[in-house]
Amino acid sequence: MARVSIIIPTHGRPQMLRRAVESARAAGTDVEVVVVDDASTDETAEVCRALEGITYVRLEHNQGVAGARNVGLLASSADYIALLDDDDLRLPGSLDRQTAALDAEAAAGFVCGSMLMADQDGRLTGEVSVPGHPGGDAFWDLLELVFPVMPISVVIRKECFTRVGLFDSGLPGLDDWDIFVRIAELYPVAIVDEPVSIYKQPTPSSGQGSSAQARHLSRAARHHLKLLRLPRAAAAPASVRRDVRARTLDRIADTLLFNAAHRLREGSYRPAAANGLAALRLKASRALRPAGYRRLASMLLVPEAKPPRGL
Amino acid sequence: MPEVSVIIPTHGRPHMLPRAVESARAAAADVEVVVVDDASIDETAEVCRALKGVRYLRVERNQGVAGARNIGLLSARGEYVSFLDDDDVRLPSSLDLQLDALRSLPEAGLIYGQALYDGQTDRAGHDRYPQTCPRGDVFWKLLARNFIPCGSAVFRRSCLFAAGLLDHSVAGIDDWDLWVRIAALYPVMALEQPVMIWRKTTPGSDQGSARAVETVTLSTRQFHRRWLKLPRAARATAALRREASRQFSKNMASYLAFEAARSLSHGHLLRAQNCAFALLRLHSRGLARRTLDGFAKGSSMHGAGEH
Repeated sequence: MARVSIIIPTHGRPQMLRRAVESARAAGTDVEVVVVDDASTDETAEVCRALEGITYVRLEHNQGVAGARNVGLLASSADYIALLDDDDLRLPGSLDRQTAALDAEAAAGFVCGSMLMADQDGRLTGEVSVPGHPGGDAFWDLLELVFPVMPISVVIRKECFTRVGLFDSGLPGLDDWDIFVRIAELYPVAIVDEPVSIYKQPTPSSGQGSSAQARHLSRAARHHLKLLRLPRAAAAPASVRRDVRARTLDRIADTLLFNAAHRLREGSYRPAAANGLAALRLKASRALRPAGYRRLASMLLVPEAKPPRGL
Repeated sequence: MPEVSVIIPTHGRPHMLPRAVESARAAAADVEVVVVDDASIDETAEVCRALKGVRYLRVERNQGVAGARNIGLLSARGEYVSFLDDDDVRLPSSLDLQLDALRSLPEAGLIYGQALYDGQTDRAGHDRYPQTCPRGDVFWKLLARNFIPCGSAVFRRSCLFAAGLLDHSVAGIDDWDLWVRIAALYPVMALEQPVMIWRKTTPGSDQGSARAVETVTLSTRQFHRRWLKLPRAARATAALRREASRQFSKNMASYLAFEAARSLSHGHLLRAQNCAFALLRLHSRGLARRTLDGFAKGSSMHGAGEH
């Protein structure tokens, strides 16, 4: 039995997949690489068959990322689980260090590392995304989006899934936030202070921008209400829940405003309006306050503004 | 490694559970019983600890039946898998009979059987469901109607790698959804004899009608958004899809009409009204078709009587 299983869902990107698999293999001494082909219609199957020593699972019906990850869980044999996307990379030795951290902290549910940022061509931008969290109880910070956990930078204890449930395929794009909140509700979080993976940043102008982003963030705001009903949040005083809700909405509204400014600068007016309106709908007071305008103006003037942390 | 795993999700029914577990253990020679305790807050945990030869999984946060079944799948070790609800009963040796049949046809993915209504009969006077068991390539038939009682199905665990796990966003019809995805890829076998006893939504009980509208709404959405878009259905001719759609609609319409009538006879006016509205909103064409068929049948029977 392998020490750690790394699950790579893939759909129609055979060229990228090979590098992802190689990086996963080099990331640890005893790694089981599970590739879940989510009903690709291209040569993904042949590419996978040519890769030696992987567990290849072929879904005939497209299940989406969450569904494919769940099938990967079913096919995996190790007690530790890592996740990787087919266009991202794991750094050499990183899985060994993270599994050692989980061994050392027997109570921790998952261990989080830093990520190196890359552009769409895979060139490192020099930017590092650190967890920015001391570890331990991270439930409220995850819930409030101050502690964004990226699936490709964690190793999870498999038993967590039997206590909190699997990835929710009804929440496309939000299933990872959802599961990390649910795990952190019951388990402390461990941190390794070093980069473990390379994340290809979607450029703001790449296709997925548009109004889809505004819809995604609005869905996140709605799902937040559901997460606030988790037993641990429900047991907290109502004032605490109210404050958490308010701060989270502020954060989401800020992100929406940032997106709106970005789109405006690019001249894509429709997505800009979608983002701006979504911010207004979520929290008009935040979107309309003077600081909001100042931020909007500064982002329109300064070309390389950084987005607020969070989703 | 056990040959077959029976996954029993349970939530707050410790008095029923032992009977379900015992029946599962007696249903096959080499069986692993996985009880998934879906965050019960009563004495379910103690009851389970007292049961012998059971793998007990405790879920801390309530997942619903579909989520709990998925968690069970994650720890099941058998090559074959079957689900059982905590208030249902498997008949002795029934799993072994089904496994023998399933082994004889390696390309088949799933085998099901009949469920007894626990000493009662349904509106047509039958004591079991389904009356006849379609087999082979049942994909299109299964789209129209779920004739596979959940606890009666045994499938290869490996099917899940091609078909995917249960989708808990369609809780309530998650089993039907999985059978559809399996039947799209594999032949389905049937053992046309009772393999289990059903306790839920028995004809006399009242819990069915309250959820009828919910179930039909969910099924209708799933039918159009997912099932008709499965590669198997998408590749088929438009005529075939239309026919499936017709059959489905007719079937949903008769279900809602029956529930509306029953609610009415029990004096639940609001419930009856909800069913009737859902019927008109979702399946008015199915209703029309069903009524026409009814007239046709009525007149032909009338004619037969005269001769």
